[in-house]
Amino acid sequence: MRINPSIGPDRARAVFDEELQGITTDAALRDLRHRWLARSGSWVAGFMDLLAAAAPAEKKALGRGANELKRHVEQALGDREAALAATKRPEGAVDITLPGRQPSLGFRHPLSLIREQIGDIFSRLGYQVLEGGEIEDDYHNFEALNMPEEHPARDMQDTLYLATPVPPPAVPPPTRGRAPRTPQPLTLLRTHTSAMQIRQMERHDPPVRLVAIGPVYRRDNLDLTHTPMFHQVEGLVVGRGITLADLKGTLTSMATALFGEGQQVRFRPSFFPYTEPSAEVDIRCIRCQGAGCAMCKRTGWIEILGSGMVHPAVFEAVGYDPAEFTGFAFGMGIERVALLKWGVEDIRLFYENDLRFLEQFGR
Amino acid sequence: MNVLLSWIREFVDVAEPAEEIGRRLSLRGLALEGLEAQGDDWLLDFDVTANRPDCMSVAGIAREIAVVFQRPFRAPHTRLAGAVRTHTAPSMTAPAVSIRIDAPDLCRRYVGAVADVRIGPSPQWMADRLTACGVRPISNVVDITNYVLLELGHPMHAFDHERLAGPAIVVRRAADQETLTTLDGKARTLRGDMLVIGDAARASAVAGVMGGAASEVHSGTTRIVLEAAWFKPQSVRATSKALGLRSEASMRFERGADLTAATVAMARAGELLEQTGAGRITAPFIDVYPEPYAPQPVHLAQPRIAGLLGMAVPEADVERILTALGFQATRSETGWRVIAPGWRVDQHRDVDLIEEIGRHFGFEHLPSTFPGVQQAPQPSDPRIARDQRARRIALARGFSEAISFAFIDARHASPFLAGAAPVALANPLSETFAVMRPSLLPGLLAAVSHNRRHGRRDVQLFEVGTRFSPSGESRALALAWTGLATPDHWSGQRRDVDLFDLKGVVEHLAEAFDAPLTFDLPAAHDLAADVLVPGRAATLHLAGTAVGVLGQATPAVCDGHDMPGTDATYVAELDLDALSRHSGALRMAQPLPRFPAAVRDVALLLDEHLSAAEVRGTILSEAPDTLVSVVEFDRYQGTGIPEGKVSLALRLTYQSRERTLTDAEVDTATDEVVGVLHISLGAVRR
Ligand SMILES: [Zn+2]
Repeated sequence: MRINPSIGPDRARAVFDEELQGITTDAALRDLRHRWLARSGSWVAGFMDLLAAAAPAEKKALGRGANELKRHVEQALGDREAALAATKRPEGAVDITLPGRQPSLGFRHPLSLIREQIGDIFSRLGYQVLEGGEIEDDYHNFEALNMPEEHPARDMQDTLYLATPVPPPAVPPPTRGRAPRTPQPLTLLRTHTSAMQIRQMERHDPPVRLVAIGPVYRRDNLDLTHTPMFHQVEGLVVGRGITLADLKGTLTSMATALFGEGQQVRFRPSFFPYTEPSAEVDIRCIRCQGAGCAMCKRTGWIEILGSGMVHPAVFEAVGYDPAEFTGFAFGMGIERVALLKWGVEDIRLFYENDLRFLEQFGR
Repeated sequence: MNVLLSWIREFVDVAEPAEEIGRRLSLRGLALEGLEAQGDDWLLDFDVTANRPDCMSVAGIAREIAVVFQRPFRAPHTRLAGAVRTHTAPSMTAPAVSIRIDAPDLCRRYVGAVADVRIGPSPQWMADRLTACGVRPISNVVDITNYVLLELGHPMHAFDHERLAGPAIVVRRAADQETLTTLDGKARTLRGDMLVIGDAARASAVAGVMGGAASEVHSGTTRIVLEAAWFKPQSVRATSKALGLRSEASMRFERGADLTAATVAMARAGELLEQTGAGRITAPFIDVYPEPYAPQPVHLAQPRIAGLLGMAVPEADVERILTALGFQATRSETGWRVIAPGWRVDQHRDVDLIEEIGRHFGFEHLPSTFPGVQQAPQPSDPRIARDQRARRIALARGFSEAISFAFIDARHASPFLAGAAPVALANPLSETFAVMRPSLLPGLLAAVSHNRRHGRRDVQLFEVGTRFSPSGESRALALAWTGLATPDHWSGQRRDVDLFDLKGVVEHLAEAFDAPLTFDLPAAHDLAADVLVPGRAATLHLAGTAVGVLGQATPAVCDGHDMPGTDATYVAELDLDALSRHSGALRMAQPLPRFPAAVRDVALLLDEHLSAAEVRGTILSEAPDTLVSVVEFDRYQGTGIPEGKVSLALRLTYQSRERTLTDAEVDTATDEVVGVLHISLGAVRR
């Protein structure tokens, strides 16, 4: 409305508030400020003129009203100016909602992650971590492990043999035990990493405290739960007074580190030629915490590894006195841990190297 | 092993439901694999481990149940002892067969008995039990031998007496190439190390594996010779394997039969013959048993139990468990003197006894303790930390980690052999897994191809793994890269990966391993020449030894893996073992330079065939020690540059540790470098 101070400060204030409503730009705000506060020709200037001409009796009330209006206008304009400034992009501003420029960063293979984690767990417990060779001789893979030729247990591990033997690695000969003094040609793909443990014991006095990790091979056809190559971790502790209870404590600690606080393990008697007593080890079902579900076939437990006390025949093969030393050993499939931990349903996915799969397990 | 609950209850009073029996036995070493209702009966399927042939029988499993539930066990050895005595007592009746063992090393006992029979069907209850346990009923006599096998675990066989020449039984090694038609109708050619049961003329059974068709019991048979014997496990196993013939009998003999049970089984068969009306044993058993069972007593020292298990087992429990399992345990000063029963072929040492005690006392009572540490651990395999370092660099440069099977198709391996023979498998699972990989690259290319066929154009993969050659194993790192050089971004220009992207990664790796690699033209027989595009290929050398390849994979190699499209795939492979053998010298820190560096840029016009390495080499050999770095910062061909020439811009940095270099001396040094480049390489300064 045109400038008309005669309507009085209160109604003028309502007019100002209404005019301020529609202001969205700096220019409009500047115009509004001029219209209301300019030294001459503005609403506030009009009130000053009115005040100068007013009758003494009206002067006081009009003066207070005009001053309050001026303060209100200044205050409101200041606030709006700040609000407008806040919505404005500063000089050189960018759109921070655009995606960042990500440096390339690859994804770890899930088996590699588990393998490293297990290595770390046992390093922390004071174990040496070994890998060994993937091709072996019959002696170290079977015979020294109490599985002579024609032992029925050899059926448990269908072996892949090389068409032509490969010369043995150039390592110092064993210092003890029954191993042939001339290294034997390597004839087969190791069916377990235990062979590595034999080689270590042949060269070192007790105590022994190691885990052997790496690929192993068996003549199993590919299906949901089998691959002809898989990864294994095997632990071995030998010393004076090592017991099955020590194995239970160790495996409970490992299960907790892998699957979370409060894990429990359960031993079920079993048979392996290289351990006596032997036990299969279950963990509490990680899906149902023991209540019973499809994954654990409603038992509340899931089989995770095989273990036992090292068979005296194994000690004799490496030249340790079984009357003096005892030891425990265990072997676990890394794929199995990964299947359980991440709920993977097909073991073959680990060997397809499909990025859509690999990118699910973190960098 | 399938067993019926009703059959088990003939040996032990166990009223508990089948499910509970299965659950409790699973925690004591006999895992329940299956449970199935059969009318008002239950069929339990137990997984019997290879060391426990005694549990491949109803009685064996019942004995375990009796120990677990602490109930009396009606032992067949005890119940049938009287019958055995009667049948083995001297008698006036002469047996109508002679028995001889010619191979006592493979057959330690042979019990034979002659019976008169009337062949017919078995009674229904027996046929039902056999059927439930997966054995097909044939005739009353044959069924009885199978019934005894299932019940007591001791295999038996019946010969038609009339069809045995002699009539005699001779346990002997086969003649080489001797033939025999087995019960399944197949003609078998035998080897000289196989054990047969013969009559006076020919072989009539493969010992412990399968009977012969010629002496088979048939509907007209009226007299039989029953066999209950003990054959050496290794021999039965080798024969069964060589003939590709497994039977219920061979599975038990190869794990070890009970030497003491042969007469018990025979007595049970005699009892069943009479009970079912099938016939009667008419003469005393002939028991050829040159060297009777004489088990070595095992000394079980009491402290050894807790010493191995880590839990104490009360003496009363030790004795209860051993006795219930059939062991004779007598107290000695420090523990027990223990004799194992004949069916426990797995018992040799004190640890075997401790396992029995531990599992029946209950592993659930084991405490959780930790092995003490007596010394610092031995060092870990150095390859672990090394491989981890290689992985870290590959990951940081955008490569995701692949793990491939170590065996591959011979067709995929062949381009990567570089003249060597492949390491082939003698018994591969399939053509796809026939040879051990000579290189990680075929597996990586297969993975790249897989991803491209599943909609990924940009693929960066690496693998750390083992390669195989006729001289052994080596560990390598391989890289493969196709598609974009950097991920798509709104700010940037798309660019496809090129050889120098991958070369940069290899240079980083070389630096990380402190290995001064050289990138050289492949020689004719190099792997790089076989699998990489000529002109885009390098053989990597370290101190004169080839340690890897870098370049663009040839279309032929990519096609071998059905790689879709025509985009270039760049690959590299590095022998990590060779790299780590080389690196290792401890590096000393250098103080920071105290005097400023001087920089001179030089642009040269060169013949286009001259390599950057030659230019660089010439500069470094001629320049003063104060030249600390040479960087090629621009290379240009095209407008303004004569045909056949290239413009190469170099940044030379000079620095001294002793003083500030003067402009004049830096200029002089640069002029001298340019002069030498002109004289020896024909370079012209622009
Ligand atoms: Zn569950």
